Amino acid sequence: MSVLEVRNLTIRFGGLTAVDGLNLTVNEWEIVGLMGPNGAGKTTAFNCITGFYKADEGTVVYRGRDVTKLPPHRKAALGIGRTFQNVGMVKSETVLENLLTAQHIKAGYGALTALTGVGAVRQRERDLHAHADAILELLGLTEVRNRPLGSLSYGTLKLLELGCALATDPDLLLLDEPSSGMGPEEAHELGDRLLALRKELGVTMLLIEHHVPLVAAVCDYVYVLNFGKLLAEGDPDHVRSHPEVVAAYLGGEAPEALAETEVPAEQAEVAVATPAAAPTRSGGRGRRRKESA
Amino acid sequence: MSADTQLLTGYDAGAARARFGGWLARAAASLPVLWLVLLLPRHADDWTNNAIFAAIYAMVGLSMNVLVGYTGQISLGQQAFLGIGALTAANVVHTGTNAPDPFTFALGIVAAVAISAGAALLLGGIALRIRGLYLALVTLVFGAVTADAIFTIPALNGNDAGVSAYRPSALQSNYSYYLFALAMVGICLYVDVWIRRSKVGRGLIALRDNELVASAYGINVLGYKLLGFVLSGAMAGLAGGVFAFWSQEFSDKDFTAAAGFNKALIFVVMVVVGGLGNRAGVVAAAAFFALIDPLLAGLAHHTGWLNYYTDHKAYISNIIGAGLLLQTVIFNPGGLGQVLRPFTRWFAGHRFSLHDDHGDAAAAALVGAGDVRA
Amino acid sequence: MHELAGSFSTQINLLTPIVSGIANGAAYGLLGLGLVLLYKSNRIFNFAQGEFATVAAIVAYVFDRGTGWVPKVPYFAAIAIGVATAVLVAIATERFVIRPLFHRPRVVLVVATVGVALFLMGIEGILPYPQTASLRTISDVLNVRSYAFKVDGVVALDQDLAKLGALTVLAVAAFVFFRYTATGTAILAVSQDATAARVVGISVERISMTTWAIAGLLGGVAGVLLAVPPAGSVTPGSITGLTLTVAFSAAVLGGMTSLPGAFLGGILIGLIEAFANADHSFVPGLNSLPTAQAEVAVAVVLLLILLVRPRGLLGQEA
Repeated sequence: MSVLEVRNLTIRFGGLTAVDGLNLTVNEWEIVGLMGPNGAGKTTAFNCITGFYKADEGTVVYRGRDVTKLPPHRKAALGIGRTFQNVGMVKSETVLENLLTAQHIKAGYGALTALTGVGAVRQRERDLHAHADAILELLGLTEVRNRPLGSLSYGTLKLLELGCALATDPDLLLLDEPSSGMGPEEAHELGDRLLALRKELGVTMLLIEHHVPLVAAVCDYVYVLNFGKLLAEGDPDHVRSHPEVVAAYLGGEAPEALAETEVPAEQAEVAVATPAAAPTRSGGRGRRRKESA
Repeated sequence: MSADTQLLTGYDAGAARARFGGWLARAAASLPVLWLVLLLPRHADDWTNNAIFAAIYAMVGLSMNVLVGYTGQISLGQQAFLGIGALTAANVVHTGTNAPDPFTFALGIVAAVAISAGAALLLGGIALRIRGLYLALVTLVFGAVTADAIFTIPALNGNDAGVSAYRPSALQSNYSYYLFALAMVGICLYVDVWIRRSKVGRGLIALRDNELVASAYGINVLGYKLLGFVLSGAMAGLAGGVFAFWSQEFSDKDFTAAAGFNKALIFVVMVVVGGLGNRAGVVAAAAFFALIDPLLAGLAHHTGWLNYYTDHKAYISNIIGAGLLLQTVIFNPGGLGQVLRPFTRWFAGHRFSLHDDHGDAAAAALVGAGDVRA
Repeated sequence: MHELAGSFSTQINLLTPIVSGIANGAAYGLLGLGLVLLYKSNRIFNFAQGEFATVAAIVAYVFDRGTGWVPKVPYFAAIAIGVATAVLVAIATERFVIRPLFHRPRVVLVVATVGVALFLMGIEGILPYPQTASLRTISDVLNVRSYAFKVDGVVALDQDLAKLGALTVLAVAAFVFFRYTATGTAILAVSQDATAARVVGISVERISMTTWAIAGLLGGVAGVLLAVPPAGSVTPGSITGLTLTVAFSAAVLGGMTSLPGAFLGGILIGLIEAFANADHSFVPGLNSLPTAQAEVAVAVVLLLILLVRPRGLLGQEA
C-alpha cells in the first residue's frame, strides 16, 4: 500500500479555490516532488495534508488509514512530520531545547508524571538528550548545541529545522521548500543529505521545491500544480520540459514555450493529468540508485 | 557547510560545570541567603509575619510565571484563585474557634489546590476561544466577578463576618507556620523545576511561541493550554490556602473591589518586573512587593515620616511598583531575572559571566523586544 | 380589563430601570469612546483611561474650590482646566510610555498602560486634597433647582441628561471625525500600517500625539461629568475601579473598533445592569447582592457575545 494517498483534495477560501481535485500518491521510500509557480496551492495542500487546513472535499489516506480530519498533533503522532516555509521553530529556545521539544511524542512519560520528577522521567530525559545529540551529529551541528536560535545563520536554521522534523521520528516527511535561500552548492549538499537520510533512516519524503536541479537529482516522481489544479506528473526530466509546465513558470502559451525549449514535441513524452496515462513509476529506489546499479 | 555560525561571544552555556572547590565557594556564598531566609525571621516576630506574606506572594508569582511566562497567556484576575484557595481552605476546615487536627488541615489545603485548579480549568476553557487582549479583559472581569459574586455569598463568608481559619496546634507559632509556608514554596519550586525540565514546560513554551510548530511537533495545543491554566490555578490555590491560615480568617474584603483590583495589578507587575519565565527573578520580585510596605514603614518610622507614610502607603507603593514596571518594560525586558541571571547560573555550577545570550534572548523574545535574526 | 391594568403597571415598573440604565450607560459610553479610539488607533486597551478621567475631576475640583495656592476660578473655567490637564497627561503618556514601545507586541503596551494607571493613582493619592469629596453638578453651579423630569413617578436627574447629551455629541463628533476629516483618516492609516503611512507623508509622531490628546479629552470630559454625587467622587482609582471593567465590556460588546458601538454598548450594558438589579432577579440566591447580580449579568452577557461573535455587535475585526 502507498504511504500517502491524496484523492480529489479540494480546498476553498471563500470564493477562491486554492486546491482543486488534487490526486497524489507517495509510495514507500520514494522522494516525491511537488512543484508549481508561486500561489499554485502547494503549501495549501501541505497544510491540509498535515491537518492545519480543513479539506472541503477529498481524502487524505496515510498507510491505508483515513486521516483527513485529524488535527495536526495527531498526525504528527502517527508519523507525519513537516517543515515550514519560513523556518518554523521555537525561536526563544536554544538548539538543544528545540530538538528536545520536537521529541515530544516520543517522550515516554505522561505530563503529570513529569511533574513528580521520578527516576523514570529523569532517565527518559537523558535518553531524549542523547537522541538530540545523535541528530546534531548526523547533521554536523554539534557545535551549535547550546546556542539560542537568534545567533544562527539562515542555512544553519534550515538544517536545524530538518533535524527537528527528524526528531519527531517521522515515517513520512513533508518538506516545504527545503532549499529556499540556498545557493547551488548548498542545494547540492542538501540533495545528498536527503538521499542519505532516506537510505539510513528509511524516511519517505514529499517535497515542495522550486530548485529544478535538486528535484532532478533527488525526486523519483514529480507533480506540478498550477492554479490549484494538477498540471502534469511524471519523471522529473520529462516533466520539466513539458510545454505547459514551462509556460506556467515562464508565462505565455504552451506552443510558444515549447518553441523555446530544445526538445521536439514528439519527444516530450509526458503524462497529462490523467491517472490512466501516468507512466510506470521507477519504484522507491530513486533515480540515482538506478543509474549506479 | 552552513555550520559556519557566527559566534557572538565566547560564552557557551553548556560549558563544563564547577569542580569541588567551586562548589565549596558556592556553598559558602549561599550561607547569607540561607540566613536571611531561614534565621532572620526567627529573631523578630513581626518580620516572621511579613516573611510568611512574602512566601505567599512568591507562590502567586510562580503561578503567574507558569501562566504568563511559560504559557504566554495573560491574567488580570489572578487574585480570584488566591481567594478561591483561601475560601475553600477556610470553609473546608471550618472548626470555629478550635484548632483543627492535622488531617482536616491537610484536607483543607488539598481542597484549596483542587478547587482553584478546577476554576482555572474553567477560565482556561474560555481562553481557548478568546485570545490576546480580549482574554485580558475576560480575566479582569473574571477576577472581579468571582470576588464580588462568590466571595460575598453569606454561606461562604460567614455571613459577612469572615470565616475563621485557625492553625493546627503544631503550627501555632509564627515561625513554625513560616517554615510550613516555606515548605509549600518549596513544593511549588520543585514542580516548577520539573515543568521546565520536562516535556511539559517545553510544550507550553512551544505553544506560546508558535502554535503551528508546536502542533507539528505533536503537542496537543488545546490540552496544554488548559494544563498551563490548571497548574497556575493549583499554585495560586495553594498560596490561598496558606494565606487563609496566615491571617487566620477568610474575609471577602481582601479580594473585592479596590483591594482585589489592586492585588490583580500588583501580581501582573510582580511577574513582569521579575522577568517573565525566570523563576528566581519572579520569586525575588514577589518577595520585594510583599515586603515593600513593612520596609518603607520601618524607614518612615526612623526618619519621622511615619504618619504621612501610613496615610499614603498604598499610593506610595503604587508609584514604586508602577515606576519599576515601566522601567522594566521600556528599558529592561528581562526584568530582575536578567539582573540575577549571572548569579543564579553561577549557583547552578556554571562559570560566572555577565553575558548570557540565552537568557537575554529568551526574555527579549518574550517581550518582543527584537526579532530573532534568521 | 385586568390584563390591561396589569400590563400598565408593568410599564411603569419598566421605566425605572430603563431610565437609570440609560443614565449609567451614558457614563460607560463616555469612557468607552476613549477606549475605542485608542483601540482603533493603537490596537491596545488603555487601562489608564479611567485615571485620565479622575485627573480631570481632581484638577477641576481643586480649581473650583480654590484650595491652598490654587486660585478659585469660575466653575466652567475649572472644568476646562481639568480637561486640559487630562489632555496633557495623555500626551505625556504617549510621549514617554507609548512611543518607546511602539513596535512591541500589543500585550506589552497594555501592561504599560496598567503601569501608567497605577502610577497616576499613586500621584493623585499623595496630593493634598480631600479624597472623598465630589465635584459640583451643573445644576449646583447654575443655582437652579435640580430639574428632575418626572415620568409617572420616575426621576431623571439633569446631570444624567448632561451625560447622555455629552455622549451623543461626542460620539457623533468622533464618528464624523474619522469618516470625513483628513486627520481622522490619517489616524486610521497609521493604525493599519505606520510605515506605509510615513511613506505617504503622514507624520506618525504627530498623529500619535493627536490621538492620545483626543483620548485625554474624551477621558477628561467623562471625568468631570462622572465625579459628582451621588455615586461619584474624586477618589483616586474610583473611576478605574468601579467603571473601567464595565466600560471595557461596553466597548467590546459594541465592537472595539466601532465608535457607534461604544455608544450602543454603553447604553446596552447600563440597561442590562439596571434590569439585573431590578426585582426581576433571574439568578436565585443572589437577591441580597445587587452589585453582584448586575456584575454577573454583565459578565455572562459579555462572555456569550465574545464567544459567539468575537468582534462584538458592530465591530469589524476579531
